[in-house]
Amino acid sequence: MIGEFEYVILSAAAHLGEGAYGAAMRDVIESTGGRTCSLGALYTTLDRLEAKGLVETWMSEPTQQRGGRARRMVRVTGKGIRAAREFYQAVIQISRGTVWGESKRSRLPGDPA
Amino acid sequence: MKAQNVVVRRTDMQGAAWRWIEAAAGMLAPWEREVVLGDLAETDRGAWRGLRDVLGLASRRQLALWWNWRPWAASLGLALPASLFLMGCSLAASAAVAGFLGEPAQAHLLWIPLSRLLLVISWAWTAGFVVGAVSRRTLWASVLACCAPCLYCLLKWPGHGFSGAQLLIFVLPGLWGVWRGQRDLRLSLRWAFLLAGTAALVPVMWNNGGWYGCWLLWPGWYLAATARRRPESTANN
Repeated sequence: MIGEFEYVILSAAAHLGEGAYGAAMRDVIESTGGRTCSLGALYTTLDRLEAKGLVETWMSEPTQQRGGRARRMVRVTGKGIRAAREFYQAVIQISRGTVWGESKRSRLPGDPA
Repeated sequence: MKAQNVVVRRTDMQGAAWRWIEAAAGMLAPWEREVVLGDLAETDRGAWRGLRDVLGLASRRQLALWWNWRPWAASLGLALPASLFLMGCSLAASAAVAGFLGEPAQAHLLWIPLSRLLLVISWAWTAGFVVGAVSRRTLWASVLACCAPCLYCLLKWPGHGFSGAQLLIFVLPGLWGVWRGQRDLRLSLRWAFLLAGTAALVPVMWNNGGWYGCWLLWPGWYLAATARRRPESTANN
Protein backbone atom coordinates (compact mmCIF):
# COMPACT_ATOMS: atom_id res chain seq x y z
CA MET A 1 0.00 0.00 0.00
CA ILE A 2 1.13 3.55 -0.70
CA GLY A 3 2.13 5.98 2.03
CA GLU A 4 0.32 9.09 3.15
CA PHE A 5 2.49 11.55 1.24
CA GLU A 6 2.35 9.38 -1.86
CA TYR A 7 -1.43 9.56 -1.60
CA VAL A 8 -1.26 13.36 -1.28
CA ILE A 9 0.88 13.56 -4.44
CA LEU A 10 -1.43 11.24 -6.38
CA SER A 11 -4.45 13.27 -5.27
CA ALA A 12 -2.84 16.56 -6.30
CA ALA A 13 -1.87 15.12 -9.71
CA ALA A 14 -5.34 13.69 -10.27
CA HIS A 15 -6.87 17.00 -9.15
CA LEU A 16 -4.83 18.98 -11.69
CA GLY A 17 -5.45 16.52 -14.50
CA GLU A 18 -3.68 17.45 -17.73
CA GLY A 19 -1.99 20.42 -16.06
CA ALA A 20 -0.21 18.48 -13.32
CA TYR A 21 3.45 19.41 -12.87
CA GLY A 22 5.79 20.14 -9.95
CA ALA A 23 5.06 23.78 -9.13
CA ALA A 24 1.30 23.45 -9.66
CA MET A 25 1.13 20.31 -7.52
CA ARG A 26 3.07 21.98 -4.75
CA ASP A 27 0.71 24.93 -4.90
CA VAL A 28 -2.31 22.61 -4.55
CA ILE A 29 -0.74 20.65 -1.69
CA GLU A 30 0.17 23.80 0.22
CA SER A 31 -3.02 25.76 -0.41
CA THR A 32 -5.53 22.92 -0.10
CA GLY A 33 -3.68 20.54 2.16
CA GLY A 34 -2.50 23.23 4.55
CA ARG A 35 1.01 21.85 4.78
CA THR A 36 4.37 22.91 3.46
CA CYS A 37 5.83 20.80 0.71
CA SER A 38 9.48 21.00 -0.30
CA LEU A 39 10.52 20.39 -3.88
CA GLY A 40 12.89 17.70 -2.58
CA ALA A 41 10.07 15.73 -1.00
CA LEU A 42 7.85 16.27 -4.03
CA TYR A 43 10.31 15.14 -6.68
CA THR A 44 11.79 12.21 -4.76
CA THR A 45 8.28 10.94 -4.05
CA LEU A 46 7.36 11.40 -7.69
CA ASP A 47 10.39 9.31 -8.66
CA ARG A 48 9.27 6.57 -6.29
CA LEU A 49 5.73 6.64 -7.64
CA GLU A 50 7.05 6.48 -11.19
CA ALA A 51 9.26 3.51 -10.30
CA LYS A 52 6.18 1.75 -8.93
CA GLY A 53 4.29 2.53 -12.13
CA LEU A 54 1.73 4.71 -10.34
CA VAL A 55 2.49 7.87 -12.34
CA GLU A 56 4.07 8.76 -15.66
CA THR A 57 6.21 11.86 -16.08
CA TRP A 58 7.62 13.62 -19.11
CA MET A 59 9.21 16.94 -19.98
CA SER A 60 7.05 19.63 -21.55
CA GLU A 61 8.14 22.23 -24.04
CA PRO A 62 10.00 25.18 -22.47
CA THR A 63 7.74 28.11 -21.59
CA GLN A 64 8.44 31.82 -21.44
CA GLN A 65 6.64 32.00 -18.10
CA ARG A 66 9.43 29.91 -16.58
CA GLY A 67 12.30 31.73 -18.21
CA GLY A 68 12.46 29.28 -21.12
CA ARG A 69 12.56 26.20 -18.92
CA ALA A 70 10.60 22.98 -19.28
CA ARG A 71 8.10 21.46 -16.84
CA ARG A 72 8.03 17.92 -15.53
CA MET A 73 4.48 16.93 -16.36
CA VAL A 74 2.74 14.20 -14.35
CA ARG A 75 -0.08 11.81 -15.16
CA VAL A 76 -1.60 9.27 -12.78
CA THR A 77 -1.77 5.78 -14.33
CA GLY A 78 -4.59 3.28 -13.91
CA LYS A 79 -2.49 1.43 -11.37
CA GLY A 80 -1.99 4.73 -9.50
CA ILE A 81 -5.73 5.37 -9.43
CA ARG A 82 -6.34 1.90 -7.99
CA ALA A 83 -3.60 2.37 -5.37
CA ALA A 84 -5.01 5.76 -4.32
CA ARG A 85 -8.52 4.35 -4.13
CA GLU A 86 -7.28 1.44 -2.02
CA PHE A 87 -5.54 3.83 0.37
CA TYR A 88 -8.61 6.04 0.59
CA GLN A 89 -10.86 3.04 1.30
CA ALA A 90 -8.49 1.84 4.01
CA VAL A 91 -8.53 5.26 5.70
CA ILE A 92 -12.33 5.36 5.52
CA GLN A 93 -12.55 1.82 6.92
CA ILE A 94 -10.17 2.41 9.80
CA SER A 95 -11.83 5.74 10.63
CA ARG A 96 -15.35 4.33 10.76
CA GLY A 97 -16.77 4.74 14.23
CA THR A 98 -13.83 6.80 15.38
CA VAL A 99 -14.61 9.99 17.26
CA TRP A 100 -11.89 12.59 17.16
CA GLY A 101 -13.03 14.51 20.20
CA GLU A 102 -11.30 16.53 22.86
CA SER A 103 -10.50 13.51 24.99
CA LYS A 104 -6.84 12.57 25.46
CA ARG A 105 -7.28 9.33 23.59
CA SER A 106 -9.76 8.87 20.80
CA ARG A 107 -11.79 5.70 20.47
CA LEU A 108 -10.93 3.23 17.76
CA PRO A 109 -13.13 0.40 16.47
CA GLY A 110 -12.82 -2.54 18.84
CA ASP A 111 -11.94 -0.39 21.85
CA PRO A 112 -14.07 -1.00 24.96
CA ALA A 113 -16.71 1.67 25.34
CA MET B 1 -8.42 22.57 -11.10
CA LYS B 2 -6.23 22.95 -14.16
CA ALA B 3 -2.73 24.42 -14.29
CA GLN B 4 -3.92 27.71 -15.76
CA ASN B 5 -6.13 28.23 -12.71
CA VAL B 6 -3.21 27.94 -10.34
CA VAL B 7 -2.01 31.34 -9.23
CA VAL B 8 1.33 31.75 -10.92
CA ARG B 9 3.52 34.61 -9.92
CA ARG B 10 6.01 35.59 -12.56
CA THR B 11 9.15 36.48 -10.79
CA ASP B 12 12.30 38.24 -11.74
CA MET B 13 14.54 36.36 -9.41
CA GLN B 14 17.77 38.15 -9.91
CA GLY B 15 20.71 39.28 -7.93
CA ALA B 16 22.96 37.48 -5.53
CA ALA B 17 20.27 35.24 -4.07
CA TRP B 18 19.27 33.84 -7.42
CA ARG B 19 22.92 33.28 -8.33
CA TRP B 20 23.31 31.26 -5.14
CA ILE B 21 20.28 29.21 -6.07
CA GLU B 22 21.63 28.60 -9.57
CA ALA B 23 25.00 27.62 -8.16
CA ALA B 24 23.37 25.17 -5.74
CA ALA B 25 21.28 23.77 -8.59
CA GLY B 26 24.56 22.80 -10.27
CA MET B 27 24.52 19.77 -7.97
CA LEU B 28 21.42 18.46 -9.74
CA ALA B 29 21.24 16.59 -13.02
CA PRO B 30 20.85 19.00 -15.98
CA TRP B 31 17.23 18.03 -16.74
CA GLU B 32 16.23 18.31 -13.09
CA ARG B 33 18.04 21.62 -12.71
CA GLU B 34 15.92 23.01 -15.51
CA VAL B 35 12.70 21.76 -13.93
CA VAL B 36 13.51 23.01 -10.44
CA LEU B 37 14.77 26.43 -11.52
CA GLY B 38 11.67 26.76 -13.69
CA ASP B 39 9.44 25.90 -10.74
CA LEU B 40 11.21 28.44 -8.55
CA ALA B 41 11.06 31.14 -11.22
CA GLU B 42 7.37 30.49 -11.71
CA THR B 43 6.34 30.53 -8.07
CA ASP B 44 8.38 33.03 -6.16
CA ARG B 45 8.60 31.82 -2.58
CA GLY B 46 11.61 33.91 -1.70
CA ALA B 47 15.31 33.31 -2.08
CA TRP B 48 15.79 31.50 1.20
CA ARG B 49 12.98 29.04 0.52
CA GLY B 50 14.29 28.52 -3.01
CA LEU B 51 17.79 27.81 -1.77
CA ARG B 52 16.43 25.42 0.86
CA ASP B 53 14.40 23.64 -1.82
CA VAL B 54 17.38 23.17 -4.11
CA LEU B 55 19.74 22.09 -1.32
CA GLY B 56 17.11 19.74 0.09
CA LEU B 57 16.57 18.05 -3.25
CA ALA B 58 20.32 17.80 -3.93
CA SER B 59 20.86 16.24 -0.47
CA ARG B 60 18.09 13.72 -1.05
CA ARG B 61 19.55 12.81 -4.44
CA GLN B 62 23.00 12.30 -2.92
CA LEU B 63 21.63 10.23 -0.04
CA ALA B 64 19.70 8.05 -2.50
CA LEU B 65 22.95 7.26 -4.33
CA TRP B 66 24.39 5.75 -1.15
CA TRP B 67 21.78 3.00 -1.10
CA ASN B 68 23.77 1.44 -3.92
CA TRP B 69 27.02 -0.52 -3.51
CA ARG B 70 28.90 1.62 -6.02
CA PRO B 71 29.76 4.73 -3.94
CA TRP B 72 30.89 2.51 -1.04
CA ALA B 73 33.03 0.37 -3.31
CA ALA B 74 34.60 3.40 -4.98
CA SER B 75 35.35 5.43 -1.85
CA LEU B 76 35.90 3.06 1.08
CA GLY B 77 36.54 -0.06 -1.00
CA LEU B 78 39.10 1.42 -3.36
CA ALA B 79 40.07 5.09 -2.94
CA LEU B 80 40.97 4.79 0.75
CA PRO B 81 43.00 1.53 0.67
CA ALA B 82 44.55 2.51 -2.67
CA SER B 83 45.66 5.82 -1.21
CA LEU B 84 47.38 4.12 1.73
CA PHE B 85 48.95 1.47 -0.49
CA LEU B 86 50.13 3.92 -3.16
CA MET B 87 51.74 6.17 -0.58
CA GLY B 88 53.83 3.23 0.54
CA CYS B 89 54.62 2.30 -3.06
CA SER B 90 55.60 5.85 -3.94
CA LEU B 91 57.95 5.99 -0.96
CA ALA B 92 59.54 2.69 -1.93
CA ALA B 93 59.84 3.61 -5.61
CA SER B 94 61.32 7.04 -4.94
CA ALA B 95 63.71 5.56 -2.37
CA ALA B 96 64.86 3.07 -5.00
CA VAL B 97 65.40 5.88 -7.52
CA ALA B 98 67.29 7.92 -4.91
CA GLY B 99 69.41 4.86 -4.10
CA PHE B 100 70.27 4.43 -7.74
CA LEU B 101 71.17 8.11 -8.15
CA GLY B 102 73.41 7.82 -5.09
CA GLU B 103 75.28 4.90 -6.63
CA PRO B 104 75.32 5.41 -10.41
CA ALA B 105 77.81 2.56 -10.74
CA GLN B 106 74.93 0.11 -10.44
CA ALA B 107 73.34 1.21 -13.69
CA HIS B 108 72.52 -2.37 -14.60
CA LEU B 109 70.02 -2.36 -11.72
CA LEU B 110 68.17 0.65 -13.12
CA TRP B 111 65.26 -1.52 -14.25
CA ILE B 112 64.22 -2.17 -10.63
CA PRO B 113 63.30 1.41 -9.64
CA LEU B 114 61.96 2.13 -13.11
CA SER B 115 59.71 -0.92 -13.12
CA ARG B 116 58.43 0.04 -9.67
CA LEU B 117 57.65 3.55 -10.83
CA LEU B 118 55.84 2.22 -13.89
CA LEU B 119 53.86 -0.18 -11.72
CA VAL B 120 52.82 2.61 -9.36
CA ILE B 121 51.76 4.79 -12.28
CA SER B 122 49.82 2.04 -14.06
CA TRP B 123 48.11 0.82 -10.89
CA ALA B 124 47.19 4.40 -9.90
CA TRP B 125 45.70 4.90 -13.36
CA THR B 126 43.79 1.62 -13.10
CA ALA B 127 42.42 2.46 -9.65
CA GLY B 128 41.49 5.97 -10.81
CA PHE B 129 39.71 4.59 -13.85
CA VAL B 130 37.67 2.18 -11.75
CA VAL B 131 36.78 4.90 -9.21
CA GLY B 132 35.61 7.17 -12.02
CA ALA B 133 33.68 4.42 -13.80
CA VAL B 134 32.05 2.83 -10.74
CA SER B 135 30.62 5.94 -9.15
CA ARG B 136 30.66 9.13 -11.14
CA ARG B 137 28.17 11.11 -9.10
CA THR B 138 29.85 10.49 -5.74
CA LEU B 139 33.33 11.28 -6.93
CA TRP B 140 33.66 13.88 -4.19
CA ALA B 141 33.55 11.11 -1.57
CA SER B 142 36.22 9.09 -3.36
CA VAL B 143 38.44 12.18 -3.65
CA LEU B 144 37.94 12.81 0.06
CA ALA B 145 38.77 9.19 0.93
CA CYS B 146 41.93 9.40 -1.17
CA CYS B 147 43.08 12.83 -0.01
CA ALA B 148 42.45 12.44 3.72
CA PRO B 149 45.30 9.93 4.38
CA CYS B 150 47.67 11.84 2.08
CA LEU B 151 47.00 15.16 3.81
CA TYR B 152 47.29 13.49 7.20
CA CYS B 153 50.72 12.10 6.35
CA LEU B 154 51.92 15.36 4.83
CA LEU B 155 50.82 17.37 7.86
CA LYS B 156 51.86 14.81 10.45
CA TRP B 157 55.38 14.35 9.14
CA PRO B 158 56.29 17.51 7.21
CA GLY B 159 59.67 17.17 5.56
CA HIS B 160 60.06 13.57 6.60
CA GLY B 161 59.23 10.46 4.70
CA PHE B 162 56.30 11.39 2.54
CA SER B 163 56.65 14.53 0.41
CA GLY B 164 54.50 16.41 -2.04
CA ALA B 165 56.58 15.24 -5.00
CA GLN B 166 56.06 11.59 -4.03
CA LEU B 167 52.36 12.32 -3.79
CA LEU B 168 52.33 13.47 -7.40
CA ILE B 169 53.74 10.12 -8.59
CA PHE B 170 50.36 8.49 -8.10
CA VAL B 171 47.94 11.43 -7.82
CA LEU B 172 48.45 12.66 -11.38
CA PRO B 173 48.02 9.25 -13.08
CA GLY B 174 45.12 8.59 -10.70
CA LEU B 175 43.36 11.79 -11.73
CA TRP B 176 43.97 10.97 -15.37
CA GLY B 177 42.43 7.55 -14.79
CA VAL B 178 39.41 9.10 -13.06
CA TRP B 179 38.86 11.42 -15.99
CA ARG B 180 39.03 8.54 -18.48
CA GLY B 181 36.87 6.32 -16.29
CA GLN B 182 34.14 8.94 -16.09
CA ARG B 183 34.27 9.45 -19.83
CA ASP B 184 34.68 5.91 -21.16
CA LEU B 185 33.29 3.66 -18.36
CA ARG B 186 34.84 0.58 -20.00
CA LEU B 187 38.10 -0.34 -21.72
CA SER B 188 38.74 -2.57 -24.68
CA LEU B 189 39.40 -6.20 -23.76
CA ARG B 190 43.06 -6.02 -24.70
CA TRP B 191 43.79 -2.94 -22.55
CA ALA B 192 41.70 -4.27 -19.69
CA PHE B 193 43.63 -7.54 -19.53
CA LEU B 194 46.95 -5.76 -19.87
CA LEU B 195 46.16 -3.44 -16.97
CA ALA B 196 44.62 -6.25 -14.90
CA GLY B 197 47.79 -8.32 -15.41
CA THR B 198 49.97 -5.38 -14.44
CA ALA B 199 47.78 -4.62 -11.43
CA ALA B 200 48.19 -8.23 -10.29
CA LEU B 201 51.95 -7.69 -10.04
CA VAL B 202 51.70 -4.66 -7.78
CA PRO B 203 50.84 -6.33 -4.44
CA VAL B 204 53.36 -9.09 -5.18
CA MET B 205 56.12 -6.58 -5.92
CA TRP B 206 55.69 -4.85 -2.56
CA ASN B 207 55.20 -8.07 -0.58
CA ASN B 208 51.71 -7.01 0.36
CA GLY B 209 50.24 -10.45 0.29
CA GLY B 210 47.34 -11.78 2.30
CA TRP B 211 43.89 -10.27 2.27
CA TYR B 212 45.09 -6.74 1.69
CA GLY B 213 47.00 -7.76 -1.42
CA CYS B 214 44.06 -9.78 -2.73
CA TRP B 215 41.73 -6.87 -2.08
CA LEU B 216 43.90 -4.59 -4.19
CA LEU B 217 43.43 -6.88 -7.17
CA TRP B 218 39.76 -6.07 -7.60
CA PRO B 219 40.17 -2.97 -9.82
CA GLY B 220 41.95 -5.16 -12.35
CA TRP B 221 39.24 -7.82 -12.19
CA TYR B 222 36.61 -5.15 -12.54
CA LEU B 223 38.27 -3.80 -15.69
CA ALA B 224 38.50 -7.29 -17.18
CA ALA B 225 34.91 -8.17 -16.26
CA THR B 226 33.43 -4.99 -17.72
CA ALA B 227 35.68 -4.76 -20.79
CA ARG B 228 34.14 -4.25 -24.20
CA ARG B 229 34.01 -7.61 -25.96
CA ARG B 230 33.47 -6.07 -29.36
CA PRO B 231 34.83 -2.98 -31.10
CA GLU B 232 32.98 0.23 -30.19
CA SER B 233 31.36 0.70 -33.59
CA THR B 234 29.87 -2.84 -33.58
CA ALA B 235 28.78 -2.63 -29.94
CA ASN B 236 26.87 0.58 -30.58
CA ASN B 237 24.91 -0.84 -33.48
